[in-house]
Amino acid sequence: MDITAGLGFKTEHLAEALTSRAAGLWFEVHAENYMVEGGPRLAALDALRQRRPISLHGVGLSIASVQPPSPEHLTRLKALADRIEPAAVSDHLAWQRWDGGHHADFLPFPRTEAALDIVVGNVDRVQAALNRPLLVENPSLYADLPGHEMGEVEFLAQLAQRTGCGLLVDVNNIFVSAANLGFKAETRIDAIAGELVGEIHLAGHARDSDPASPLLIDSHDAAISDAVWALYRRLIARIGPRPTLIERDDQIPAFDVLMAERNVAEAIMIAAEGDYEYV
Amino acid sequence: MNMSEPEAFQQAFALALAGEGTAGALFADPAIVRALAVHRNTSAKAAHDALAANFPVVRALVGDDSFAGCACAFIESHPPRDPRLCFYGEGLAAFIAEYAPFSQAPYLGDVAAIERRITETLFAPDAEPLDQAEFLDALDLDAPLILHPAVRFVAVASPAASIWLAHQPGAPSDALERLAWREEAALISRPGWSVQVAVIDRCALAFLTACQRGEGLGEAALAVTALDGVVSTVVASLISAGAFRAQPT
Repeated sequence: MDITAGLGFKTEHLAEALTSRAAGLWFEVHAENYMVEGGPRLAALDALRQRRPISLHGVGLSIASVQPPSPEHLTRLKALADRIEPAAVSDHLAWQRWDGGHHADFLPFPRTEAALDIVVGNVDRVQAALNRPLLVENPSLYADLPGHEMGEVEFLAQLAQRTGCGLLVDVNNIFVSAANLGFKAETRIDAIAGELVGEIHLAGHARDSDPASPLLIDSHDAAISDAVWALYRRLIARIGPRPTLIERDDQIPAFDVLMAERNVAEAIMIAAEGDYEYV
Repeated sequence: MNMSEPEAFQQAFALALAGEGTAGALFADPAIVRALAVHRNTSAKAAHDALAANFPVVRALVGDDSFAGCACAFIESHPPRDPRLCFYGEGLAAFIAEYAPFSQAPYLGDVAAIERRITETLFAPDAEPLDQAEFLDALDLDAPLILHPAVRFVAVASPAASIWLAHQPGAPSDALERLAWREEAALISRPGWSVQVAVIDRCALAFLTACQRGEGLGEAALAVTALDGVVSTVVASLISAGAFRAQPT
């Protein structure tokens, strides 16, 4: 495997990222942070790209929105992808755009046939603009909405079948959604078609700051929990190794601390690969 | 025409997020109201964090809580429209200038105006800067010097650039006490890869303003001499700050 476990790239870690000798290490960035015309941030990404594979993770395509992705946004994303030649491009099964406004979160929607048609149309538009497949990530869910006509796994599988997109499985989001909506995370993990999975995300979560709320929040501000590691082991044991990202977007620790988590993911993949050889 | 089901849902959810109504049947479920609060907090935090990253000195000057209050009011009246939150905050300087709780500190809007230009400079296009030797080689009094795409300059009524500089690492600890309270002009540029803020005098400001208007070097030089400035000194310091782009060859 050329690419094993990677880290969300933080500019404060540039020097260590450039000099790390870890085999298989790769980096992911939020695409929107680099959809700029020039300057030091883009130059840092160019430098990192000379050494390591980069994945562009979008947080603003709004592919579940009834309003299609803005042409300007797609043009900028295409320009960045042409420049960086990323290993993967991904975004979320969610919407952010309404009436010209951008809600900087991954908003839910009833998974209906009509919604599937909309997401298929948007993913087709993105893939046509980028001339490459997109990986679509399952978001964290905070309440069960009325009106679902299909489950998340089925919705994503149909989306992949109709558009040719792949899946980015966020194991922490499955754990958080399972806790919040009251379903069994293991069952959800086991239902995912392994051949569709192009990437995996691991992150930390937190309890809602409102003490009256029972919810878990996808906060990306803490170490990965033991329960999420267990789900990850379960997934990898079944489908084999996949490029896996350690996500941390708040309370950023030292590079070495993130590398230690990254090395755990790598060890889990190596162990799984070993099992495959002996089977 | 009737709205489609996904459109009706997104409209109801977006209006509820904006605090403009949770009257529909959807929000009779307390679990959905709680989820709505999580989404509202998450997007407000993302917008706040973007402003905090782009206006660090304003935040240091007023403190985290006052900044959060101001950011919250700004986010409500000027919610993000671009998914690129790294650009968020256009209009914050004007908003702060009118923001009643900060009315005792009129320099805050000026500091915000400088920090907004720092963001613009940070992400502006790359271009080869003009260097001193090239300038002397190609001296043409009729041709204008072209401003570098990453250059911004601004004149403000308070010593906002000095205040900003006093908050940078390595600034003298008494920098704020020694502040002369007067109007100031600031040059924000990107020599090499780092953004630099400098206080400039009225001669440099006049020269840059003439260049921005597309006036030839000779005309721009006259603007400096009219203020009893030394043209060679002004031009040399602006060139070393990376204020101009290399002449097209």
